[in-house]
Order: sequence, then structure tokens, then C-alpha cells
Amino acid sequence: MNFEQIIGLEVHCELKTNSKMFSASPVTFGKEPNTMINEIDMAMPGILPVLNKRAVEYAIRVCYALHMDIDELLRFDRKNYYYSDLPKGFQITQEQFPIGKNGYLDIVVDGKTKRIEIERLHMEEDTAKQFHYDSYSLIDYNRSGIPLIEIVTKPAIRSGAEASAYLEKLRQVFLYTDVSDAKMEEGSMRCDINISIRPLGSQKFGTRTEIKNLNSISHVQQAIEFESLRQEKIILDGGKVLQETRRFDEKRKETVAMRIKENVANYKYYPEPNILPIRLNHQWVMDIKERLPIMAEQREKIYIDKYGLSQSEAHRLISYKELSDFYEETVKNCSRYKIACHLLLGEVLGYLNKKNISLEETKLTPHYLSEIIEYIDEEMISSKQAKEVLECVMTEGKKPQCIIEEKGMKQISDVDILTQLIDQILDNNEKSIRDFSSGKDRAIGFLVGQVMKETKGQANPKITNQLLLKLLKERVQ
Amino acid sequence: MMIQYSIEELHQLLQLNDFDSKMYYDELFQEAEFQQKKLNAFVTITKEKAYKDLKKADFISLLSGIPYVLKDNYNTKGIRTTASSLMLEDYIPIYNAHVVDLLNQQGSCLIGKSSMDELAMGGTNQSALTGIVYNPWDRTRIAGGSSGGSAALVASGVVPFALGSDTGDSIRKPAGYCGVVGFKPTWGRISRYGLIPYASSLDHVGAFTRNVRDMAIVIETLAGHDEKDMTSSIREVPHYLENLNDNIKGLKIGVLKSISDEIIDIEVKENFDSIICKLQGLGAVVEDITMPSNLMKAILPTYTIIANAEATSNHACLDGIKYGNRQDGETIDEIILHSRTHGFSHYIKRRFILGNLALATENQERMFKKAQKVRRLIVEELNRIYEDYDVILTPNGRGIAPKVNEIVNNYLYDDHVILESHLCLANLAGLPALSLPSGFVDGMPISVHLMGRIFEEQTVFNVAYALENILDFKNQYSREG
Repeated sequence: MNFEQIIGLEVHCELKTNSKMFSASPVTFGKEPNTMINEIDMAMPGILPVLNKRAVEYAIRVCYALHMDIDELLRFDRKNYYYSDLPKGFQITQEQFPIGKNGYLDIVVDGKTKRIEIERLHMEEDTAKQFHYDSYSLIDYNRSGIPLIEIVTKPAIRSGAEASAYLEKLRQVFLYTDVSDAKMEEGSMRCDINISIRPLGSQKFGTRTEIKNLNSISHVQQAIEFESLRQEKIILDGGKVLQETRRFDEKRKETVAMRIKENVANYKYYPEPNILPIRLNHQWVMDIKERLPIMAEQREKIYIDKYGLSQSEAHRLISYKELSDFYEETVKNCSRYKIACHLLLGEVLGYLNKKNISLEETKLTPHYLSEIIEYIDEEMISSKQAKEVLECVMTEGKKPQCIIEEKGMKQISDVDILTQLIDQILDNNEKSIRDFSSGKDRAIGFLVGQVMKETKGQANPKITNQLLLKLLKERVQ
Repeated sequence: MMIQYSIEELHQLLQLNDFDSKMYYDELFQEAEFQQKKLNAFVTITKEKAYKDLKKADFISLLSGIPYVLKDNYNTKGIRTTASSLMLEDYIPIYNAHVVDLLNQQGSCLIGKSSMDELAMGGTNQSALTGIVYNPWDRTRIAGGSSGGSAALVASGVVPFALGSDTGDSIRKPAGYCGVVGFKPTWGRISRYGLIPYASSLDHVGAFTRNVRDMAIVIETLAGHDEKDMTSSIREVPHYLENLNDNIKGLKIGVLKSISDEIIDIEVKENFDSIICKLQGLGAVVEDITMPSNLMKAILPTYTIIANAEATSNHACLDGIKYGNRQDGETIDEIILHSRTHGFSHYIKRRFILGNLALATENQERMFKKAQKVRRLIVEELNRIYEDYDVILTPNGRGIAPKVNEIVNNYLYDDHVILESHLCLANLAGLPALSLPSGFVDGMPISVHLMGRIFEEQTVFNVAYALENILDFKNQYSREG
């Protein structure tokens, strides 16, 4: 029997706003535990929530990027449950009226495009972070109240590869809308999987399990592969898949049962009484749409159609938002799209990989890069020299012009100076003139070499060649 | 004896060069300790802090240097705030409630935190951790609740004003029992930030004073938008004191017959009728109005469901994990379970169970959501009345304060439940409401209840002011025993 996997993903994404969802304390990562908190984050009795406007803006950005319908009447609910990482004993979320509904994201798997339908996007707040030890647990409230958006797909995903492509794409959306670092390994993007299987062709859904808190895209894929095989085996053995919550054991690459969902948890949702419904200003919402950064997909298209880059070059550029942003900034001042791309993907990326640093950590700016490209264009420096300059800029941060001057790299393109120099060289190399006249082209190469030697490589090769040929011909006649 | 002054009187005294404010406070604390033995109204007396604040007071603003008491559900930074619950027995807040900050800015001097029903849930003050609060007029009787301590301390003359909180009638009922002015403004008029909640959509910050002018002063100070409370209104705050006007000619007052017809005590009835006559004498147009009886019957169940549902999640933070009285357990669930089992009284747990029942998925439609719908109907009905009337007048409950040994746990099932419980109409609709002393029965004070349109605090103050001026109970306090 062949089975089909039915997968739905729930993705939580921490928003990189300055302050928390409902409190003024800062959003941070990796700070000393319990130093970035106030009474609200610890749910001291008597506190009240104040909604973070920026978080709403960020949520709306993602809604637009995912082609969702936006509910301009914001409403929040309480989700009631007791847990030590949930200081209020309830979470403020949007159960009944999520800010975004009915969106989609197109993914490409094996060269085929597939549209993944997205059911909802809602805003909520993060819980505190717990550290469990043998005989005690520690709680870090720094994370408590960080703004989250949760994005839930329809059960539209059919394989681990699709899930992986969807997550890659979604991550790109978070990065390109500039709302989150979306680092799965640091927990700013987290994924839960709902998965069931059914015989191919069947319309009925099987019993699903939920796999919680995956922290990398490859784990998601591995978990899906393991879990669908596990369910398949149970069914083929005549057993029943239990509705349960599982986790992924990273070492054994297996899913492990956490708890059985005997009855659906009773969260006793009800409208949050301390946040009355908020009617968003329509123009404000429209302005957010207007100012939405250009998404990766559109950028790729522009790079190919307008800038004449190859598909693979365009794809490589957009795979890192900072690279793509850098590229866009660079080509604002210079229309040598291809050279800019080659330098970035070649020299710059190579340098970053070698040093294992990010673009931001170097001293290179888009302005410096376009300046370098301009010098190449004007034949002030050769492309070989350009690479040297580029590396110097990245390490030392000096202006390209200064580096060129310091290193004496400036090309000699002055015809008078070069004519004088070539004449001198020809005077000293009678033999080469004779070789040339007898048809030995090799002589030209030798003579150019001599010019370069005299000028320490600064002679403009193109002009040198032209002049040399002209002067040689004069002497031969 | 120098105490028992009103805010305005005391303000004038404090501004005199030869007035010894320190000596005034010495006497005040003597009296406070004396009354504490009699009434058991304080949870904490904050003597040291009061003297410190007094030193800083410049007596320029009306409330500068004026002593006051806070119900023990207002967070006070560095001062134990118990909400009269075992769960918070040792809780010392790290922040001030917004209204506490406002009073600090005015230079008012907090002299203590007052006893209340546990977590403000109750009307008798019998569930307080520190025990029952006695009525200053008769110590065999209760002060009422849930803001019983604050009511008793104003009624006994210790302080000219005290803050309470009002979710169903928790200011107005004890105010009535103790013979002082009790008021809660429109929901959203005063920030609730830092008030340990009971039920957020029904909770109000409010106060006790011994006259209406003082109430106008206090409410004017506390009212206004607070960026920490999204539900606090951005409407400008009127100058209640300056605008106070006892000319109420032509004002339309509706007497809610559905309530006043329920009065059984003949003296209470006579008193209520006499107030109607007095209002007519003042030139007000007083007419009978009614509300559908099925809606009247629905008031208490509606209130009970909403209040307890909200309370159950509002108090979910009291789990013994981050603060609160923690009990041991093998697992986190056990710690929470044991802490909450230990930390709350039987009465509170009963309410939590009711709240949870109403919110449970399988019941929510016919309980919580239905209550929300009925609440809407009640509000619509009241709005209809307010199309024709400026103020609604009712008796402030059934009558005088019950004897301590008369209170029974299930007083909710009282035969005259509508009469007793209708004050929560003002909470369901968020209306400004005031209880004003109107007379005495068996030597105990009784009150009438005035309820105005939302954000029309001034109208309520004016009616109360006009009445107060022709009654004999302005600035009254009890010197019993």
C-alpha cells in the first residue's frame, strides 16, 4: 500500500521590535537571565497589557507578504492554562479573530511550483524560557512577552521536502519583511509539525500526531520522514496511530512520545477584557503595504529581466538578504550590474567564507564597491588590481581611492608619457622590431612586458597595446 | 482631638504657619492605633513612610500633606500588599499602582493599607486574612465589603479619604453601611494599573470621603488617561470641584421602581420616599421608571458568571512560582496545585470553580457567552432610560449593616436578592455611581444610590451635593465606644 503524507505546519516567529508585545521592556537575546524584565513580564498582580504598535506593523508586513486578508479590527483573547513558563497563567493571543487569514506561499520542489495555502496569522506573546535540571528548574523571564506571530498552514504539505521548501521560503519572508532574525537555532523561529498519513487516493484523514519545537529545517525534514514511516509501520501492522504530542530526538533522529492528547485541551478562551477591540486606521495599514520592502521573488525577477544576471546568479544573490540589499544599494550608483554581481558573489563572498564573518562585519560599503567598479570602468585599475583593492577595503576600511594611491596602482593612460616610454624601449630593442617585421607577433608580447616592467604594471594595457602597435608600424615602414 | 477634618478644612490648616502638622500626625496615628483595636480595619500601618512623605509635602495642592488609606489591593512599592489573601501574605510589590503615583505626586501621605474581602471577592469583609472589620457605628455589626477597611477608617474619622475598589458594589455597599460617601466613576475614567484585579471589565478605582466636595477633589486628581492602561479614557477630565453646583432644577431623576418596590423595612422605605420629596423640593423632576423583571432577575447571574470567569484567569498568576505563598510539590503542576489549594480560602475556590465552569468549552456558549449577551441587553435597557433621565435613584441596598453573627455564607440566595445586588448594574454598564448617606435606622446609617450616564460624573456629584446640603449627614463620623 502506498501512503500519502498530510502535513500542516505551525510556525512561531519572534518579532525584532524594540520592546515587548505588551510591555515596555526591551526585546533581547542572550542577555543575562532576568535582567531585561519589568513587573509586566513577570505578571505581578495588577499589571495591564499595552499593545506594541510596531509589532502590529510587523505582523501586517508579513500578512501582505503572504497575500493574506487583513482584519483591521484587532481583537485579542485569553488562552488560559497553567504552566511555570507562563507567568500570567494565560497567554494573550488572537484565537477568534486572527489579524491575517487566507494567504499562500508558492514553493518550488523538483522544479515544480506548488502553492501552499496558509490558514491564519495571529499575534501573541512568548513564554518565559525554562532550564530543567535534575532536581530543580530555572526560569528566564527575559523572553517572557516577546512579540510572536504564529502562522498556520492548511494541511497542504505532502512531503518533508515540501515542508523544508516552505520553511526556507517563509524564513526568507521574515527576513525580507525585516521583522525577525528568524534564526531557528536560536529559537526566534520555531516550528511544530502536524502529520498524519493515509492510503493514496483516500479522502479521509488519518489520526495525526504533533511534533513540537523543531529547531532547524533539516530536523523538520528528518522528523517528518521518521514519523511518516513510524505511522506507516503501525498501520501496516494493523495498529492504531495515537493522537499524541511528540518531540524530535536529535541524536537518534527519531520522534519520541511526550504526552497523549486524550481530550483536546480546554483553554477556556475568552476576549481579553483589558484590550478593547482596536479599529486600525486604514491609511496606516495601506502605508505599511506601500512601504513593504521588495520580496525575494520579485528581486530575483528584476535581477534577471532588468539587470541581465543569470538565473543562478540572481538566486545566489537573494539567498542572503544582506547580500541582496548590498547589491541593490550598489547598483543604485552604478549600472555595471554584472560586474557588481561578480565581485559580490566572487571576491566578497569568498572573503566572507574564508574569514567566516558576515558582510556587516567588514568595512565594505555599497558606495566603496560602486567606486571600485567605476575605476575599473575608467580603466584606472585593472580587474586584477580591483580584487586587491576590494580585499584591502574589507580588512582596513580605507577609501578605495586612498588604497590605489598608496599602493601606486593608478594606471598610466597618458598617451604622451606612454609614447615617450615606448620609444625608449623600442630604441633599446632593435631585435624585437626586426622580429615584428618578419611576422613574429610574439615580439609584441615581449615589448608590452617591457613597458609593464618599467611602469611596475601601471601602464594601461589597452592603450599600451594600441600605441606599441602604431609605433612599431611607423618604425618598420 | 484634631482629626476628623475634611480635605478642604485640613488643607487650610496645613497652610497656616502656626499649624503643627507633625503633632497632627502624632495624634492621627494614636487614633489610628486606637481605632485599629476597635475596628480591625488596617492590614498595615505605614507610620514611618507617612512621616517621611509629610516632610516633603509643601501643602500647596489640595491633597498635599493629606493623610489617606489604600485598600490593600493597590500595589505599593516596597510596602506589603496582601489583598487580604494568604496567597499574598508576604508579597511586597516592586511597583506602584498608577493612582498611588498620582497621590504621591500630590504629596498625599499614605498612613496605611486597609483590610478587604480576600482578593476583593465578597461583600462582608469576612474573608479577609486579618479577620472581619467592625462597623464604627456598632461593633457588633460588619463594615461590609469588599472595601470594608477603607470605609470604616473614613467613617471613624481617622482619614478624610481612602481608596477602595468596586467590582459589584464593593465601595458603595460598605459606604452605605458605614455612613460615608462612596463613589466609583465611569469605567475607564481612572487607570486600573496596579490595582490587583478581581474582574477587569467590572473593576473600578473609587474612593470614600465624608462629603461630596472632597469626593470631587479626589476623583479629579485620580481621573485621566494613563498610557499603562489601554482602557483608560483620553477624554479631558472636567474640574469637578469647580463645577460643583447644587442647583439641580429641571434635572430628570428616574426612580427605579423595580428596586425600590422591594424595600421591606418600613423605615428604609420612609427614608427613601423622603429623599424623593427632597429632590422634588430642589426642583428636580422625579419620575418612576421600571426595567423588565426578567432582566432584573438576570442581573445577579450575569454578574456572577462574568465576574468569576474573569477572576479565575486574573488570579491565575497567583501560582506560587514567581511570588506568592509557595507550597512544595514533586512536579510543577503539583507545586501550583498545592500553592493554590493552600493559598485561597474555600470561598475563593468556590468562585474559581464557578468561573472555570462558565468558561469551559462545553459550557461557554450557554454560560459565559450568554452572560455577555445579557450584559449587552442590560446596558441597552439602561441606555434607553438615560435617553430620558439624567440620574437613576435607588436605595443603596436593603438597609443597615448586618450583625456579625447574622452573615451567612450563602447570602447570595437571599430572598431579596435584587434589592441587595442591583448596585452591580453600574459595573455591568460602567456607569458613575455614588452612595450618599440619607438617614439612620436603629442608630445605623443608611444611604441612597445615584447612578449617572457614562462620563457624567459631574451630574451625579451635583445631585449628591444638592442633597447633602439639605441633609444632616455631611462630614459625619462615628465616635462609638
